[in-house]
Amino acid sequence: MTTWEGLLFGIGFVTQPEVLIYCFLGVVLGTFVGVLPGIGAMAAISLLLPITYYITPEAALIMLAGVYYGAQYGGAVASILLRLPGTPQSAVTTLDGYPMAQNGRAGVALFTAMASSFVGSMIGILVLVLLANWLSRAATAFGAADYAAMMILGLVAASTIGTARPAKGFAMVTLGLLLGCIGTDVNSGAQRFTFGQTELLDGINLVALAMGLFGVAEVIANVRNPDRQSVAARIGLRRLMPSRDDLRRMVSPMLRGSALGSFFGALPGTGSTLSSFLSYSMERRIARQPERFGKGAVEGVAGPESANNSAAITAFAPTLTLGIPGDPIMALLLGALVIHGIQPGPMMLEARPEMFWGLVASFGIGNLLLLVLNLPLIGIWVAMLRIPFNYLYPAILVFLCLGVYSVRGLSFDIMAVAGIGLAGYLLAIAKFSPALLLLGFVLGPLIETNLRRAFLISRGDPMIFLERPIAAGFVISTVALLLLPVWKAWRRRAHA
Amino acid sequence: MQRDWPDIFGGLLLAILGAGAALWAAMYYDMGSLRRMGPGFFPVLLGAALFLLGLVIALPALGRSAEPPKIEPATALAVLAAIVIFALSLSRLGLAGATAITVLVASLPAPRKGWVWRIVLALGVTMLTVLVFSVGLRMTLPVWPRLS
Repeated sequence: MTTWEGLLFGIGFVTQPEVLIYCFLGVVLGTFVGVLPGIGAMAAISLLLPITYYITPEAALIMLAGVYYGAQYGGAVASILLRLPGTPQSAVTTLDGYPMAQNGRAGVALFTAMASSFVGSMIGILVLVLLANWLSRAATAFGAADYAAMMILGLVAASTIGTARPAKGFAMVTLGLLLGCIGTDVNSGAQRFTFGQTELLDGINLVALAMGLFGVAEVIANVRNPDRQSVAARIGLRRLMPSRDDLRRMVSPMLRGSALGSFFGALPGTGSTLSSFLSYSMERRIARQPERFGKGAVEGVAGPESANNSAAITAFAPTLTLGIPGDPIMALLLGALVIHGIQPGPMMLEARPEMFWGLVASFGIGNLLLLVLNLPLIGIWVAMLRIPFNYLYPAILVFLCLGVYSVRGLSFDIMAVAGIGLAGYLLAIAKFSPALLLLGFVLGPLIETNLRRAFLISRGDPMIFLERPIAAGFVISTVALLLLPVWKAWRRRAHA
Repeated sequence: MQRDWPDIFGGLLLAILGAGAALWAAMYYDMGSLRRMGPGFFPVLLGAALFLLGLVIALPALGRSAEPPKIEPATALAVLAAIVIFALSLSRLGLAGATAITVLVASLPAPRKGWVWRIVLALGVTMLTVLVFSVGLRMTLPVWPRLS
């Protein structure tokens, strides 16, 4: 199938009413959780996982992906109007978006964020299609050693880049990998760490793990959080349309942000949060008047918002064509596919065209829906911000319990959520990242299988990781990432 | 400012967990060889790594001070108790009974005072849950408490 045929096929697939409705539901729900500070896309996707048992895997993926990129639009709204980032990806947007709102330019800031998000997504889709085509052809050359090396690079990158304390990141990834060992070993059939519990034979339930780590932990953290109490927002939306000068200023940051986001989104372990931060610092560095930044510069909204949205889209390329999720949200979506018995890989484009092209087309249609719906609906989102958390969280808890229960009909899983929730809350307090734990958990069995296979092929010779050019590239990048903090510390000492 | 307890305790706990997992796996599961790894190989490797990482986190933290973290034991207890109560009461009290009690317990730590809104909320959420899950999604669950 050529790219054009694929796109047309995908658009035909998504515009079927029974698929379109899930795309719509996904983006609306995503905007909602994005607007609400405290409840992020991770929690929302975990909450929705059980519902995907009732619909086709294609519709499920389209809906969950819609929640993901929809949350980025919503996150910008809360960042601009309240200086509360609804999602980590939109934290940078507060820097210039909120000052714009204070100067009475909230409407222009929102327009800029929405337009940049849309442009970023469209460029992201283009890159995703090209990259996926190339990757699924290149992937035929991938062997077990290459897969294992790439996943290890992803884990190392996720725990070192953008984290203050890499050791804590590594510890969480390792704990996740270890938790992934629980259950029946797929390679030998041996039962590991089940302690005679039949409920653990299939391992820890991904839905229970995600809900406990994100849903329960976030609820506990936000119940008495003063930021989450009702917010009285005074917002001047009188002028939505930017001036000619604004438009001129926002075009190149949008394009640069999209390029940056498309690149970093596709790399394992980096992702949309990093892209938005990088885009902001790049815009400030190359600006003619850097002093305007932080006081309401349009460029400071346009760049990061296009970067995080394009990164959110291109992140699907390695997830769908190699079956390797680059960030925790991709890991969760991959888990959702595995629940449906689908293991993404190089054959995905050929074997399940509805899945790939449908998803690509849904990105286009979903982003169009977001652009068309969100500007008129701003008033509704602001009203949503006024719902006190008191009324929301008890209902969230009940839905969460029922969601977990519906997966296997076991009360054991609800109890597990309570235990995991406690662990997740304590981890968050001690500043250990539960998202990295989840990434390790999902990648664990994949890494183990590929490592075993690689060593079987090489008859126990570790040189296989350096003799194969693809694996060697990943190994060298991993070592470089590991040495970077050491080198930085050494240079700091040399200067001091 | 006080000692960096989260890193000390967190690191030690992870180290103990790692050492425990590695020892358990080494004792009960087949290690195999590098060429033909057994089910014990990967867990032993990971357990040992976690043990070391835990120490790397905990030991430097001994000589460091940090802001004490904000913990809310009462909130955590109420929310977790609500979930456990839901798990235990679902089969006996039915969907409606379990939901109502869970919402009441969960709402205990909410900052707003008074009982009326809590009862109204419990009734509202119960109605919504029964409508969505029992009527809408047709989950096979007893809705009302079993009297016998």
